[in-house]
Amino acid sequence: MKRKFENIEVALPFFLFSALVIIPLLLALDRLIYVSGKMPWQVFSSLDEHYLSQDAIGFTFLQALLSTALTLAIGIPIAWQLGRYHWPRIRLMRALLTLPFVTPAIVAAMGFMAILGSDGFDLRGERSTYLVSLLFAHAWFNIALVIRFVDPVISNLDPRMEEQLRLLPAGNSRWGRLRCFWIPLMFPSILCAAVLTFVFSFTSFAMVRWMTPSNATLETVMADVGGAAGIENYQIYSNELVLASSTIQFLVLILALWLLSALQAKRSRTIAEVSESHSRKKGRTGWLVLIPALLFCLSPLMAVIRSSLRVAERGPVISHRWTLEGWQSAISGDYAYISIIDALQNSLGYAILTLVISLPLGWSLSSGIHLLEKRGSYWAKPLDILTMLPLAISGVMLGLGILLGIIRISTVFFTMWWMPAIPHIMLSTPFVVRLLLPAMRRQDPELIENAQVLAMNRWQILTKIRMPLLRGPLIVAGIIAIAMSMGEFGASWILVRTGAWDTLPVLVDQLMTRPGFDPLVKPTAMAAASLLMLTTLILFLVAERFRPDGDGGMF
Amino acid sequence: MNSKVVLVTLIAFLASISGCLTGAIDDKGMMIDERGVEVPTERVLTIVTYDIYGLTSERIMEFTNQTGIKVEMIKLGDAGAILNHLLQTKEAPQADLALGLDNTYLQQAIDRNVIQSHGANISNVMESAWLPYNGTMAVPFDQGSICLNYDTNSINSSQGRDVPTSLWNLSEEAWKGKVAIPSPVTSSPGRAFMIATTDYFANDDDETTNWTDWWSAMVDNDVIITSGWTEAYETHYSGGYGVWNDDHIGDANFVVSYCHSPGVEAYWADNYTISTSLTLDRASFHQVEYATVVNGTANAEYADLFIEYLLTEDVNLNMPIENSMYSVLIDSGLPADNGYLYHSELPSLNAQVSPEEIAENMDSWLAAWEAAMV
Amino acid sequence: MLRVEGAGKSFERILFEGLDLNLATGERMSITGPSGCGKTTLLRCIAGLEDLQDGKIYLDDIEVTNIPPEKRGIGLLFQKPVLYHHLDVAGNLRLGKRDADVHSALKEVGLDGFADRRCEKLSGGEAQRVALARALLAEPKILLLDEPFSAVDEELRSRLLNDTIALLGSRGTTAVLVTHNIKEAESFSKNIMTM
Repeated sequence: MKRKFENIEVALPFFLFSALVIIPLLLALDRLIYVSGKMPWQVFSSLDEHYLSQDAIGFTFLQALLSTALTLAIGIPIAWQLGRYHWPRIRLMRALLTLPFVTPAIVAAMGFMAILGSDGFDLRGERSTYLVSLLFAHAWFNIALVIRFVDPVISNLDPRMEEQLRLLPAGNSRWGRLRCFWIPLMFPSILCAAVLTFVFSFTSFAMVRWMTPSNATLETVMADVGGAAGIENYQIYSNELVLASSTIQFLVLILALWLLSALQAKRSRTIAEVSESHSRKKGRTGWLVLIPALLFCLSPLMAVIRSSLRVAERGPVISHRWTLEGWQSAISGDYAYISIIDALQNSLGYAILTLVISLPLGWSLSSGIHLLEKRGSYWAKPLDILTMLPLAISGVMLGLGILLGIIRISTVFFTMWWMPAIPHIMLSTPFVVRLLLPAMRRQDPELIENAQVLAMNRWQILTKIRMPLLRGPLIVAGIIAIAMSMGEFGASWILVRTGAWDTLPVLVDQLMTRPGFDPLVKPTAMAAASLLMLTTLILFLVAERFRPDGDGGMF
Repeated sequence: MNSKVVLVTLIAFLASISGCLTGAIDDKGMMIDERGVEVPTERVLTIVTYDIYGLTSERIMEFTNQTGIKVEMIKLGDAGAILNHLLQTKEAPQADLALGLDNTYLQQAIDRNVIQSHGANISNVMESAWLPYNGTMAVPFDQGSICLNYDTNSINSSQGRDVPTSLWNLSEEAWKGKVAIPSPVTSSPGRAFMIATTDYFANDDDETTNWTDWWSAMVDNDVIITSGWTEAYETHYSGGYGVWNDDHIGDANFVVSYCHSPGVEAYWADNYTISTSLTLDRASFHQVEYATVVNGTANAEYADLFIEYLLTEDVNLNMPIENSMYSVLIDSGLPADNGYLYHSELPSLNAQVSPEEIAENMDSWLAAWEAAMV
Repeated sequence: MLRVEGAGKSFERILFEGLDLNLATGERMSITGPSGCGKTTLLRCIAGLEDLQDGKIYLDDIEVTNIPPEKRGIGLLFQKPVLYHHLDVAGNLRLGKRDADVHSALKEVGLDGFADRRCEKLSGGEAQRVALARALLAEPKILLLDEPFSAVDEELRSRLLNDTIALLGSRGTTAVLVTHNIKEAESFSKNIMTM
């Protein structure tokens, strides 16, 4: 009887989650096949036949692979310094260094432009620098992944592991210790970070759009022509392009996730027990790594704030004056349908809705996987991968899926204000699971068994034991869910229909693409971007306070 | 189990949760539930549009104060996105009025029955605005001509960079990589310009080449194709306001924009601009933007009222300042302030292509364009 | 062989000061004392894992006080055995000697046939015996043992200690044992230092 109840408890969240993620995509696929009259494998060549998508496959892979390599090259030394040595204000530093990951890409892109532009390094005049700037932007975005995966492995390491090695012949040289110990120890974690970096670079949208304006990726192709997809007898090629791009993207990303899942299992095996507290050494030369790293992470954000405070003085000489007019017009909403305050409220509203659904859903999913793992069930692994599936579906793909899927059901849903929250829930739930599942695995089963012995019922065990014990990870997961929702752009861009629903990222984009003849438009857009970024920063700093020591899992 | 049932159940579940949420949270601003539950008795007009910059919240408020009709906006990227939306929601229209379909898209909207005749009382629209289309399915509300703009500082006769007298000059070595054009596939101005080139090359002296040859030659000359107007003008163009922006590249001396864009530049920069338009005969496209009533709307009456409001002098004469477009009212013109009028050249002869021709040929033109570019 | 002169170290309080110690080649000694008296710290200082605040350490009459641990040629068995889980038992032994005869080394510590075992599957006593075999393969000038069998039960502990003594004796390895158990100290060596 108990087992049967548990089965339902496990099955229900997975059923809900699958319905949420898979059904819209299947409906969308069905629609695209129906309208184009072709199957996915028949349309790949269409990508090469169109000007806007030719070379998109090659460029997508090229930039994703190079971005991954650069991210590792920059991220590993940072993670090493953070994990190995004692630093003052380490939590603040970690929060700042990982902040880029939750910074909305559109804001980051603007910041990079400011740094690379004529007021900064003045590199935009040279087209050959575009690809390299994109790689740095992706590295900026993803070093957080390297830090989150690699830093805990080093910082939780029992120091005797290294001491012992120094007293053995194999470890009597730096290279020997690297070869016999550090590399095998960190390799799975580095690979995990690499795979995820590849995934996020592969599906990057705003960065590609702004940094390499003359190159297309599969994601930008879908964004370009997606709007016309799904309509019968109308621009059929757009259906083919979307179908081809999304199929390739989906296959590549599924492969990546499968790899990630296998690596994570290997990774958890190499992670040693958390050691007793030990005093870490002070790093003497580490500041040479960390100060540039902090500058690298913060300067695009600073650049955005700076741009929000300057207005161009048009005339024969290029000059700007410092002013708060951009902020004033952003707050008054003169250049858009709504003000940044209204947009912030909308964003927070969607974020809370996302939280209210994705946190319990993520909890139930994690709890289900954990239960199956304890039982040694064959199903644990596939379900684990299933929860990561939305990571393999980019924002644009998700937005298009819901849009096209919904056309199949009823267009009435277009008018439902909560529609845009669905992709937010889909995108944030995997992060919730990645945070809660490792924490559940670490939890001492005796604590629960003890409660059972004390004749507590399931509800009491949940509310009195399990949830309080996982308070830290729960709070962090909640805040990350809010941050993901606040920064989400790709799907919102496709689904947010009514001006009154505009979220901050959508408002930023709207202001950014508005003709800027009026010199106040630009600073207004930057003020909106700054507000978005500062809100995210505050959330992230709060989250860092509650982050449990030890391995934080994926995020 | 039927997948539709699952999704509908799920959505109902989400809706119930979200219902609690809105109840719990303070009303103001938060995803205003204007369409659905609370406001069935209110008179609401829903407008689908791209960012029409003239329609500030004050203007909308003014309309509501005058008529008691509340206005809601569904805003989309551009004219193409409006047509996409109308087609996608044809079975259950979401909007009552569409603002921003232009004469490159209008005929398709008519042919596919997504718009219906209006009943507005129109008498003050100038003759020229009715030229591309003169019927009851659409009412012009602003206009302008799309053509190439160039950076006057880039002209240097001693280096062989003269003001072009033919579009063919742009495919010459001197302008290699110096021309930025938004893609006709993804951008309305880009589409308008492509249409103009079909007419320009059909009427030039050269019998051996056609418009697609020019585009191919432009590809060989490293033309910069962008997905939208903003990227072309703001990011690539060296003669526009983008110069003051952080994201400026400035590698293009020529860009597709409006013939009066230099006037707009001057207006906002105290009569300073280095940009001017290249008004070659038939190399420009007269664009008219329309207000159109969505087919099947229950609120056609409100839509008509809004169209009339849009054509009042108060609103329409402000188009040049607020929307950077010409007004369509009789005897209207551009303001002389700050050199707006002075820097806005009028093309002597726009490309002559009717909306019917456009609707009939658009698919094959786009295919031919793609073929020329790849 | 090992000479410590006037060693001093404090951490929040004085752990030891003016400590002298002298050990000849092949000799064994035990250090006892209550927990927290600085026994482990002294071993770590000798191994080079921590620095002395005062005093000097000589190995074969060469001063090693400021030489890093990997250059000293000293072996150390920690209280809890340290094995590398990414390697199997044989792999761990090869860290002590690259071309080690794994089978005979395991046989010596009574773990015949354990070469392919995964380390996380070993019991505490088995793991420490692997660590011991590894330490011996490295042929250290001195082997330091920091209560190496404290985690196993009484009966097994004395057997493991006896086996270890036999192994060290047959090889003539110089060794220092830290323990709080006076009986263990007495059976390990005649030379006993109380801290």
